[in-house]
Amino acid sequence: MRPVTCEECGTGVLVEKRSLPHTSVQWTGPTDRCPQLAGGGARIEGCTRLRASIEREVREGRLTVAHDD
Amino acid sequence: MNTPRQTPARFARGWHCLGLARQFTDGRPHEIEAFGTKLAVFRGRDDGRLHVLDAYCRHMGGNLAHGTVKGDTLACPFHDWRWGGDGKCAAIPYAQRVPLRARTRAWTTLEENGQLFVWHDPEGNPPGPGVTIPRMDWIDDEPSDGPEASEWSDWTWDSVLVEGAHCRELVDNIVDMAHFFYVHHSVPTRFTNVFEGHVAAMYVESTPRRDSGMELIGADLSLRSDAAYYGPSYMIDRIWQPLGDGTEAETVLVNCHYPVTADSFVLMYGVRVRRLPGTTARQAEDMAARTARGMRVAFDQDIEIWRHKTRVDSPLLSDGDGPVYQLRRWYEQFYVDAAEVRPEMTDRFEFEVDTRRAGEAWEREMAANLARTGTPGTP
Ligand code: FES
Ligand SMILES: [Fe+2]
Repeated sequence: MRPVTCEECGTGVLVEKRSLPHTSVQWTGPTDRCPQLAGGGARIEGCTRLRASIEREVREGRLTVAHDD
Repeated sequence: MNTPRQTPARFARGWHCLGLARQFTDGRPHEIEAFGTKLAVFRGRDDGRLHVLDAYCRHMGGNLAHGTVKGDTLACPFHDWRWGGDGKCAAIPYAQRVPLRARTRAWTTLEENGQLFVWHDPEGNPPGPGVTIPRMDWIDDEPSDGPEASEWSDWTWDSVLVEGAHCRELVDNIVDMAHFFYVHHSVPTRFTNVFEGHVAAMYVESTPRRDSGMELIGADLSLRSDAAYYGPSYMIDRIWQPLGDGTEAETVLVNCHYPVTADSFVLMYGVRVRRLPGTTARQAEDMAARTARGMRVAFDQDIEIWRHKTRVDSPLLSDGDGPVYQLRRWYEQFYVDAAEVRPEMTDRFEFEVDTRRAGEAWEREMAANLARTGTPGTP
């Protein structure tokens, strides 16, 4: 897994992408700095800002996708 | 090679649903076999509250679930010792005094969503902060114009004893994208899991298999489902199905269980449906009953697998599988002492399964099946 920092709240998470549709995000601390997830827990599917940050890492080649097809 | 292992005899820490609260309000005690022992559930005649005690009487082992409710106590059928809902012996009619510290185990209870829960903790601690069962507050059960005006059908409720399998098999289902195609005849088009704290969620969209002749209620419809386990054993699943005419069927499914022994559990499920515009409350009840029958078919499909499979602690996974190891890591928090819960068991984890490749393979398989049989049938 590769570290990715959210451009919105600055939280660092670990990300793995085995393919373009696949994403795995491991948080290593609380979500309380994230304006979308804080207090919502697993009932919120994800943060759109973090997602955008991950997509940007992929676009800019810093996060490699295992099976890029 | 995986060899069958001894299943651990420890039971999960957490709230466990025992059924609809109204099943226990008839003034008689009810016996529940759970957590390797027996429980007696009764409602106090005066306090009107549901209480859960160890079934076996601390005096000489009589079974309180076969006793009688007397006032707010449960009287043992053997020698009539009276046990209060707080676990204290309140009276022994034939003795001069009740022995000091005559107590039995009173289980911590909770009533929510019309259901009764007990708290189980091998260490004997009360539930931690925030560890509770969420109220389904999107269901208005007391509409201002009376209960008949309720927008939702009443709960259906069914239970089935599953033997020869640990309840982890059931929980594993929420990360098992591929089994939905092979076992339940549906094609997930989106499949995401999120674990955080004591909650494990599954977000799914799926369409029915075109090559399947299964005639289940709702099985011919696409659906969107938001489901989450709150603790080790209680899942709330909200399901939306577009009906084609612009309306949407909305269902809430509770899927919960309690362990009986290390390799058996009671699985229970309840359904409520939102009344469709222009239909009667009665039609909504019928719809809920049909949906529950469909659920039974789906659970029987799972049970058939569990009955014949083995327990696998280290599954061999492919890149098309969901996050089984991370789910097990989350689930483990309920089986270790509270002091041993490690951050990685509760830290947030998100996993979006790649359904594209699987979808292409399944599309080819369904097309081939249809080409072979001409019409939908058993694939
Ligand atoms: S065993 Fe229950 S009163 Fe004696
Ligand atoms: Fe299943």
